[in-house]
Amino acid sequence: MSTEKQSLRRKLDRLFVPLTVGPTMLWIAGIIVYPTLKLLWSSVFWTNPITSQKEFVGLRNFKRLIFAEGGSGTFLGLAPDFVSITWHTFVYVGLSVSISFALGLGIALLLDKDLKGRGWFRTAVIVPWILPYVMSGLMWRWMFNSEYGAINGILTQSGLLSSKIAFFSDGTLSMMALVIADIWVFTPFIIIILLAGLQNVPEQLYDAAEVDGAGKISRFVNVTYPFLKPSILVALTIRIIFDIRALDLVWVMTQGGPGKSTEVWASWLYRTAQVFNRPGEGAALGVVLLAVTFMIVALLYKVFGESPY
Amino acid sequence: MSTKQSTLGQLIAALGLDTENEWSHVVRERLVAYALLGLYVFVIWFPIYFIFITSIKPTSAVLDIPISFVPTQPTVSNYVEIFQNRPFELYTLNSLIVASTTTIICVTLGTVTGYSFSRYDFVGNKTLLLSIVGARMIPPIALIVPFFSIMSNPPLVGGLTGSLYDTRIALILTYTFFNLPFAVWIMKNYFDGVPESLDEQARIDGCSRWEGFVKIILPMAKPGIAATAILAFIFSWNEFVFALVLTSSEQAQTLPIAVSLFVADDFVDWAHLAAGGMIAALPGILFGLFFQQYIVSGLTQGAVKE
Repeated sequence: MSTEKQSLRRKLDRLFVPLTVGPTMLWIAGIIVYPTLKLLWSSVFWTNPITSQKEFVGLRNFKRLIFAEGGSGTFLGLAPDFVSITWHTFVYVGLSVSISFALGLGIALLLDKDLKGRGWFRTAVIVPWILPYVMSGLMWRWMFNSEYGAINGILTQSGLLSSKIAFFSDGTLSMMALVIADIWVFTPFIIIILLAGLQNVPEQLYDAAEVDGAGKISRFVNVTYPFLKPSILVALTIRIIFDIRALDLVWVMTQGGPGKSTEVWASWLYRTAQVFNRPGEGAALGVVLLAVTFMIVALLYKVFGESPY
Repeated sequence: MSTKQSTLGQLIAALGLDTENEWSHVVRERLVAYALLGLYVFVIWFPIYFIFITSIKPTSAVLDIPISFVPTQPTVSNYVEIFQNRPFELYTLNSLIVASTTTIICVTLGTVTGYSFSRYDFVGNKTLLLSIVGARMIPPIALIVPFFSIMSNPPLVGGLTGSLYDTRIALILTYTFFNLPFAVWIMKNYFDGVPESLDEQARIDGCSRWEGFVKIILPMAKPGIAATAILAFIFSWNEFVFALVLTSSEQAQTLPIAVSLFVADDFVDWAHLAAGGMIAALPGILFGLFFQQYIVSGLTQGAVKE
């Protein structure tokens, strides 16, 4: 090989890292960093809906969304909408995550057993998570339909109920339907992550615990949990931050209704920015959502006493 | 009596239930596990079954009372009609183009970048990796305002392209936003599991970095690439929020939007919605049934921490 060729090879080799990392970083700068900066920028402007003129308003968008006008007679001076929507989000995320976590852990422990046909069960269990959320949401809206839905059909045709339930006319029942749909969609994710974590538990430790006469619960707490902890943390973190941002199910099932009884942050943000065409306030809500997400992640890692990196 | 016992014995053998020492205890535990798993699978598959039979009922039979849970006159008319009365072939085409282009971009960039992150200790390595992890946490919905304005009036290239609103390009660019960091992260973790001695061997054999990567490492990374590609495809195929914000006609609308369009203000066309929903769900069901191990490994690789 000629020396000229060799020096070219060496030059190309030196360019390996810049050429493999550079384009991705440029792409990320354009498609993630720039929009995020633009989000912060948009959140301090108000757009006149008629003239489309932008006006710098400082933190007024945040103030308007979070605090009541006049600030008296309400809880801590907060806007009633902000309080109720935050509460709905808390209920929705809290119930969905905790129930699907308990369910997912149970199924993962069952699937971790040395059963024949385990692979078949695993496949069957994962599918709901892979379907488009829109289709899943509409499917559950159909299941809960007040006249022709399967749930009312089963309840009345079996004689358990004499009249049908109008699930989506009632705020609490609508929230329940949303939570059930959410659990249905996202439990597979918990199962996958926890099942992978369970593979890390050394088999000998179970045997040792059995020899020591440890019961099932003590075995879980002392043997399984320490090895499963990182997976639990990952599953919970991703589950919570994905639920706070989730619009799909809420939007196709209830659109926040009836009234505002199932309005959550994500649907509020979408409604403010797109339906009411108030981009400044929509951006302000986006900033709040971003901050809350990072706070939750930091909090979870602190509670579990692990470092994310 | 004896035949009964042997049938039970056969059943136990078929289920793989050993008849060792504490066989009754083991058998009982396994039977309970099968029963619980079976019940769970039945309950979670029932809604899918119900929407499927809705899609193959005659349109008017969907609103029959009492509700029939077994279709008596199955028909494909709902499927045919959504292609006749609505541009479902365009929605499907949009979904295919958007999801596959996004996948190709993310897998290509994710693979080469993931490899460099895994192997080389370059300046800013840690900071960049950290920013990728951080980027994965940004809620996409938080960015609908900037993305809407960027796509309506693209900076730098705006003079060339004009508005990108209601184009497939807008969706592809936006979808790389949540898929690219994920792809880099999965591939980095995957390459971490490929022994570095292979790189060294390639170097000793006289390969340049590029040759070593392409000839030796890349073939080893096929399962990781498959996992990344399948997940990126599914995430893009299923995406709804940005499609809702950035498109308004069949020249860019994807299947999730098409399905949601069956919901009018007061009236929902359930029979046709169910058919459209099944079409939108098809790739997911197929991937889930045939490539389950890739989905699991991709998600696990993507979730593990440093």
